[in-house]
Amino acid sequence: MLKTGIFILTLLYCYLCQAQNDSIIKTPDRHLNFKLSYNSSLIYPGISTGIEFPLSQVNVQRLKKQRYIKSFTKGRFIAGNLNWYHHPDFHDNLYLTAEWVMRRTKLNGFISEFSAGPGYSRTFIGGTTYKVDDSGNISVIKLAGYNYALITIGGGFGYDFSMKKQLPFSVVGKMNLISMFPYNSTIYFRPVLELGFRYMPGRVKRNLNMQ
Amino acid sequence: MRKLFLFGFIMLFSGCQKEKITFSENVSEAFYVDNAGASMRVLVEGNTTSNTFIIIIHGGPGASSYFYDTKYISRNIGDKYAVVYWDQRNAGASQGTSNGANLHLDQMVEDLKKVIEVLKFRYGQQISLFLVGHSFGGLLAIDFVTSSDYQNMVKGLINVDGSHDYPLNDTLTRQMLLNVGQYQVSKNRHVDKWQPIINYCIAHQGNFSFEESQQLESYATEAENYIDSIKQVSIVSEVFKYAITDKYPLSAMLSNLLYSEDSNFNKELAKTQFSSSLYKITIPVLVLWGKYDFTCPPALGEDFYDHIYSSDKRMIISPSSGHNIILQDKKLFCNEINAFVLGHK
Repeated sequence: MLKTGIFILTLLYCYLCQAQNDSIIKTPDRHLNFKLSYNSSLIYPGISTGIEFPLSQVNVQRLKKQRYIKSFTKGRFIAGNLNWYHHPDFHDNLYLTAEWVMRRTKLNGFISEFSAGPGYSRTFIGGTTYKVDDSGNISVIKLAGYNYALITIGGGFGYDFSMKKQLPFSVVGKMNLISMFPYNSTIYFRPVLELGFRYMPGRVKRNLNMQ
Repeated sequence: MRKLFLFGFIMLFSGCQKEKITFSENVSEAFYVDNAGASMRVLVEGNTTSNTFIIIIHGGPGASSYFYDTKYISRNIGDKYAVVYWDQRNAGASQGTSNGANLHLDQMVEDLKKVIEVLKFRYGQQISLFLVGHSFGGLLAIDFVTSSDYQNMVKGLINVDGSHDYPLNDTLTRQMLLNVGQYQVSKNRHVDKWQPIINYCIAHQGNFSFEESQQLESYATEAENYIDSIKQVSIVSEVFKYAITDKYPLSAMLSNLLYSEDSNFNKELAKTQFSSSLYKITIPVLVLWGKYDFTCPPALGEDFYDHIYSSDKRMIISPSSGHNIILQDKKLFCNEINAFVLGHK
């Protein structure tokens, strides 16, 4: 009986604490977001396109130090991206990624996000690639390159125009680190800078509904 | 969106693998040679109309040919001849997947043979070829010219601070560190830096283990900093100078270097020697060495010079160089190579 009482009191305490600090309103939003970015490998050009599917959108109001309320939206997404960069004389890399995205959007539109996920890479060697057989015959390998498993992890900041101006766009700058393996029997890391925008057809409608 | 995809695919499939073979006085073109799980980058720069190609075989294993591609070499050798920068497997911009098992000398000799065959395929069977092997690249070049009849594929060999016998190399490195170190201490120069090196050499007198061999190599690199007459060069500043203009794949170079440095291949190398095969070398040979090269001491160069059977051979020692004569005495390096190639092409 005592144990049950303590358990109920603990639950109640937790509930009260949460009630005092976080006000959570779940708002369903099942619209896809579309992304188009300049996918620079620092100085080498590339493109990234992708689609995001929202898994959850939570509006959080958190009481800070009993004085002010901090409000933001926490979003969780699954994203599929098709990426490409061109490193002259080295390789072109076409890679697909499936990412888990965690995004926080403040009321003023400021975005911070983190993403991670697996992927698949196909490189295309950056020059004519020759094969010499044992008899000394030489041929050119068409579309020479390699297949790699890939893991990407990244984080970035941006601005969501739908929060204040009712425009269904956001701009994001993000730094990703891709790792490809087995690359020459080891792991190849490459930092990739992504600068782009997202089209979020569901955002304006949702914001209007919230008002 | 469809246009964007179309643009991307056109760029991808038409741009990246277009065969480009140029004959001019100022060429810069890269291609790859695929062999045994590795696609190895070959950059040809300079004057291809000369029909004379100088193949730089970089050190390491796992370093890169990018570090040898300097403006000075382009202006002073590349203006006369074509300079070929070959990234060995698991080095520089070379690519592949699970190919670590193929990282061994026999495979690399075969790689070099195929690189030469592709050069002849691209630029003509009549071209003259010279090998410039630096450090580990010297060992690889010596292995190549002492294998089968491969030395007939080239007009000459230039051994630059290259090792032909790793156990002998360790013995001579220890001896030089000890002799020069004791002399420097007697002159009261960098005493605090030399003393631990001297102590180590006294404590380790021969029959070196792999770890001792690595420690000696580490001290050999360090010792160059304590010789005031050596021209000090920073590899890091060289990287900053050329990384963007030469389109370095920096992280790939680093991954390859770390892998190669840590691979079992180095343990095999520590026991490798070609002293007993040097008599096979009969082609013209130029030996370029740094007076203060502790990594591959000048006595090693002299041993190589004395044991080859080439009737046409020459050895030059740079008084201001350590292990990197290419950067430390670039004028002497270029002048000697030009003169050697001119006399034998």
